[in-house]
Amino acid sequence: MNMDDRYGADALERAILELPLEETPEGLRASILMATAYRPAPAFSFFELAVVGSLGAVALWLIVLLVMGGGSLFVHTLATIGAGLSRALSNPAILAWIAAGGATALWVSLFTGSQPAVAASRRSERRAGR
Amino acid sequence: MRAEPSDGDLVTMTLRGNSEAFATLVERYDRAVYHLAYRTLHDVEEARDATQEAFFKAFRSLRTFKPEAKFSTWIFAITYHACCDRLSRRKHYSGDELPERADPTPGPEQRVIALDEASRLRAAIDALPEKYRTVVTLFHLQGRQYEEIATVLGLPMGTVKTHLFRAKEQLRRLLGEMEVTES
Repeated sequence: MNMDDRYGADALERAILELPLEETPEGLRASILMATAYRPAPAFSFFELAVVGSLGAVALWLIVLLVMGGGSLFVHTLATIGAGLSRALSNPAILAWIAAGGATALWVSLFTGSQPAVAASRRSERRAGR
Repeated sequence: MRAEPSDGDLVTMTLRGNSEAFATLVERYDRAVYHLAYRTLHDVEEARDATQEAFFKAFRSLRTFKPEAKFSTWIFAITYHACCDRLSRRKHYSGDELPERADPTPGPEQRVIALDEASRLRAAIDALPEKYRTVVTLFHLQGRQYEEIATVLGLPMGTVKTHLFRAKEQLRRLLGEMEVTES
């Protein structure tokens, strides 16, 4: 067989298409999967990290405050806030307003809770039908 | 008997949180992707890293995959770009122009004499200039789907056909030279 027969256009194409693929290095598939589909979920979500970070920052601030001798001011501030809250919650008029507000919110959510979503879907249907 | 899910189905399943579906895609294409990376870069470690990078990028941007497109074309295009980045970094660090042939191995006449048909063809493909070598490698992976090859390379289909034609001409010449050297 001469070269022209062996490496004619069709024969050459066939030969290229029949070439075996390179063997992948050992562990390649496992490392791809570990970096993608089977990647372990992070221990904390972004939200959890933000909460933990904020709490940590507040704790650090408190420690610094206490160390620098501002503890009494902090306790005084907390006591003032606590006193204000307890005074507000012991006032029947304020409690009545809170109860009325809560009941109204509950009533509104019971009867009209799904309205915005329905309205939005109707709006989008109307837009699509245009 | 249950039919094998298509690549498009597997992408949809992955987007719905099915990790096994992406694992199936990796099983289907890791060898071909590695082949393309290795044939382009000629370095086992770099090809390995480029393959990993390609699948990682594909996984991260799976939402951008268009359902009407072919997954193979998409992943090959990502791989090809990853390889091009590595080649240009190589060029940057070497401080001078890369030769048209990316691998520094000697020409066919200095290669091992006793090669079987497939090894001889592979050696001839390796000896092609880079642009032709990539087209031949994609032709090997995708068959006569010139449009898909053009999409991967970002070249007009006419250019792909021309490159392939010239590559085949050079291959024939190289294979002929090898035959003469052996005899």
